[in-house]
Amino acid sequence: MHLNRDAESHQSSKSGLLFLQLLVLGIFVVFTLRFWYLQLHRGQEFADRAENNRIRQQQVYAPRGLIRDRNGLLLAMNEPAYALAIVREDSRDIPAALRRISDWLDMDLDLLQETFEKGRPRIRRFEPQILVHSLSFEQLATIEANTVTWPELKIVTKPRRFYPQGLLLAHVIGYVAEANEQEMIADPELTLGDSVGKKGIEFTMERTLRGSKGLRQVDVDVAGRQLGTTLLIPPEAGGDVRLSIDLELQEFVDQALGEHVGSVIVMEADTGQVLALVSKPAFDNNMFVSGLSHADWALLRDNPAHPLQNRAIQSAYPPGSVFKLVIAGAALTHRIAAPTDRVFCSGGLRLGNRLFRCWQRSGHGWMDMNQGLVQSCDVYFYTLGDKLGVDRMHPHSVESGFGVRTGIDLPHESMGLVPSRDWKRRRFNEPWHGGENLNMSIGQGYMLTTPLQVARYTAALINGGRLLKPQLLADASPDILGELPLQAGYREFLVQTMVNTVEESRGTARRIAKPGVRLGAKTGTAQVVRLMSEFERADLKDIPYHFRDHAWMNSFGQRDGRSYVITAMVEHGGGGGSTAGPIIKSIYDYLFSDPLPPLEMDEARDPG
Amino acid sequence: MTLVDRRLITHFDWALAGFAMALFAVGVVNLYSASGFRMEEGITLTSFYRKQLYWGMIGLGGMIAFLVFDYRHLRMLAWPLFVATVLALVATLLWGKTIMGARRWLDLGLFNFQSSEFAKISLLILAAKLLSRDQGKLGWSQLLILGAIGLVPALLVIKQPDLGSAVTLLLILGGMAMFRGIRGSVLKVAALLVPAALPLGWHLLHDYQRQRILGFLDPGNDPLGAGYHIIQSQIAVGSGQLWGRGFLEGTQSQLRFLPEKHTDFALAVFGEEWGFIGCLVLLILISLFLLSIIRTAAEAKDGFGCYLAVGIFFYFFWQILINIGMVLGLMPVVGIPLPLISYGGTSTMTSFCLIGLVLNISMRRFFFKK
Repeated sequence: MHLNRDAESHQSSKSGLLFLQLLVLGIFVVFTLRFWYLQLHRGQEFADRAENNRIRQQQVYAPRGLIRDRNGLLLAMNEPAYALAIVREDSRDIPAALRRISDWLDMDLDLLQETFEKGRPRIRRFEPQILVHSLSFEQLATIEANTVTWPELKIVTKPRRFYPQGLLLAHVIGYVAEANEQEMIADPELTLGDSVGKKGIEFTMERTLRGSKGLRQVDVDVAGRQLGTTLLIPPEAGGDVRLSIDLELQEFVDQALGEHVGSVIVMEADTGQVLALVSKPAFDNNMFVSGLSHADWALLRDNPAHPLQNRAIQSAYPPGSVFKLVIAGAALTHRIAAPTDRVFCSGGLRLGNRLFRCWQRSGHGWMDMNQGLVQSCDVYFYTLGDKLGVDRMHPHSVESGFGVRTGIDLPHESMGLVPSRDWKRRRFNEPWHGGENLNMSIGQGYMLTTPLQVARYTAALINGGRLLKPQLLADASPDILGELPLQAGYREFLVQTMVNTVEESRGTARRIAKPGVRLGAKTGTAQVVRLMSEFERADLKDIPYHFRDHAWMNSFGQRDGRSYVITAMVEHGGGGGSTAGPIIKSIYDYLFSDPLPPLEMDEARDPG
Repeated sequence: MTLVDRRLITHFDWALAGFAMALFAVGVVNLYSASGFRMEEGITLTSFYRKQLYWGMIGLGGMIAFLVFDYRHLRMLAWPLFVATVLALVATLLWGKTIMGARRWLDLGLFNFQSSEFAKISLLILAAKLLSRDQGKLGWSQLLILGAIGLVPALLVIKQPDLGSAVTLLLILGGMAMFRGIRGSVLKVAALLVPAALPLGWHLLHDYQRQRILGFLDPGNDPLGAGYHIIQSQIAVGSGQLWGRGFLEGTQSQLRFLPEKHTDFALAVFGEEWGFIGCLVLLILISLFLLSIIRTAAEAKDGFGCYLAVGIFFYFFWQILINIGMVLGLMPVVGIPLPLISYGGTSTMTSFCLIGLVLNISMRRFFFKK
């Protein structure tokens, strides 16, 4: 039969069969060894890697501490905001994902790509990289609907800062914005997309406000879809900050300053607590929180009125006549002049071949120290300045808190400038001239002070000579940084001259007088242009704005154990008394306003 | 000759059938785990283990169909089957269904027929016929004939493109030739020719195939790209450690880090969940299964039956070698399933049919006894 054709001749090849058996033995041995190597020799290592594969760690943002005013009113808060982030490792096609985002959100693709490339090196594996902040609800809905097809896109919930008062307190509170490269290098706690205080209290109190981020463990599948989360480290909310600012007062002061360019400080004399600090023009600090556009930034930066400048602490001006108090103090301390010593003002003082004029061309006649201050006679102080000389005026001024920072909890405070022989040589390589003593004695020349320095000096005059740190935190105790270099008697004399300036008919601050309140003040009109001759006697409105004098007034008001200092500075505001006076008066009216005594009203209504 | 002989029953190789069924059972249990997806929304996908069970039943039918007739009739059908195979492969290229960029399936209405599996069966039958015609070591002319009948289907399969099946086809032929023995002079020349052919072969490969080979040589170079399979597979197997993570507890596979886990990488799921002990048991089972086929080859009383069994041995051996080697990171990623363990309709059916053929040969060995 054909089926059995080769049956008799067939002999299975012995070597062939052995070859097959060896093959089986071969794979058995090789694979057993390989399983041993992978599962036993390196098993633990692979087990660890399997864990890392499915577990990702994510940051949990800590809510930033709230900022309140001294009465608990909210000045800075957090609101929920949604950001769009991408996880690179979950993306098959990043350019396509970026194109989708650009389509959905109607955003510039180039800008998106730039954001992505810039952030890329700072993002760890599997960490969501935030591309777009502050999504609107419409945008949120579009993205949420598509997360299944685009698993690499994640919505990150991140509290966003909101300043309900905006412009009103922008200079005090400052703002937060996304941390930049330098900040992240300096502070390893910061990661890309974190908000950090850039200006104001947000900057100085960053440590307190920030809190610490938590860590969340997220179990994911291969597409990055979340299966469950465990909180490993709970986030710690930032601490709240209560400011010394009184929001209602701040609002009132803001309105009192109106459209003027300048600043007003209201401070408690005994504690250094700053109750109001207004600088105008201001800016809306909310603009910075979600990233300022180039156009908006250029607008703020190039605004000739410099709205970003906090004029109360960052701008230094010639103090003008306000500085005469300091010179009088120096003269008393160095016994150059007694309060009763008199000087005749003929309207000017000749030094060498130069005539130094008094603002009162006709002259003040015989002036003692009190009248010199009350009427702000220049010639009287030229005489003191000439006798004192810069070598005595300089240290006395510095000890009185000028030319040094006040230490307020705000960044970028200006030091102002108190000139000295040394300074002039370093700065101009020129010797000090005698005439410069005269300029300095009336707060002109090189002298520059910030409004806050003036306020602090004034507070020291009425609080027993203590130079306090201007305090922005309501709960901080007074911080004494120095003592005025003045005997108590002299100090009281200077305070009395300030009271006289308000109360005497010829006083430059007479318009702020208020019955029942002990008010003292010193006005100043700081010249911006040295040679004012062409504008002399001209009406204020006829002088070009930038050549107009700065108007100063520093003042104090006391009643029933309450004691405030108010310093106002109006840029190019003309005369101190006439421009700054009404502003300050209205604030004292507010501070010492008497609510109608309810008892009397009841009696009136109830005659029976 | 009676159609139903009692000796047919007494000579039935229960051991081989038992090992095969055991492997298939392990495969289904493992697929149950590989089918599971742990997801938040709880999406249920087609359960592969159930479909595999259906395929197994169809396969059992095929196995019985392949053992009822006398295998020696196949010798006469060898050429017609081979021609039919070539035609089917051409038809696949022309009208085949495209799945994931490859044209490998012929839609036969009821199911999609993977013609390359058919090619493996018909090729090993034809090779068994040719090799059993004479004896002694193979010379040039015989090798050239074998090479020619191997290259025709192999090239058609490469065009699909299915490199894995093409390589398996040639390896089955090569294995059978090695079993027969090759003359020393021919071996020496071949030893020189193979390295010379390598660059040519590299040139013929598709880009993704080259990427896989490069990915195998240096998986860390592109961990999320070409090297991804290799790294994830080794992590899965390695993390099983001694006792495994337990059934349904493998995180690599359950969380879908592991690609192709129900088909080509099914063993990685097994390794992760059953550990070294489980893998050792599986390896022993596989070895016993292969040794049973060898015993059938040894006991076959005619050359055709012997070569048929050897061809079937190599059908299983090469796929086991390549698949396990790939899962363990010893070989580049080639799309070859682990017979009886991996999910796959055509592969399961082919395996059962071929096991039926081996049982057929073993049952009929008594025909030659005195």
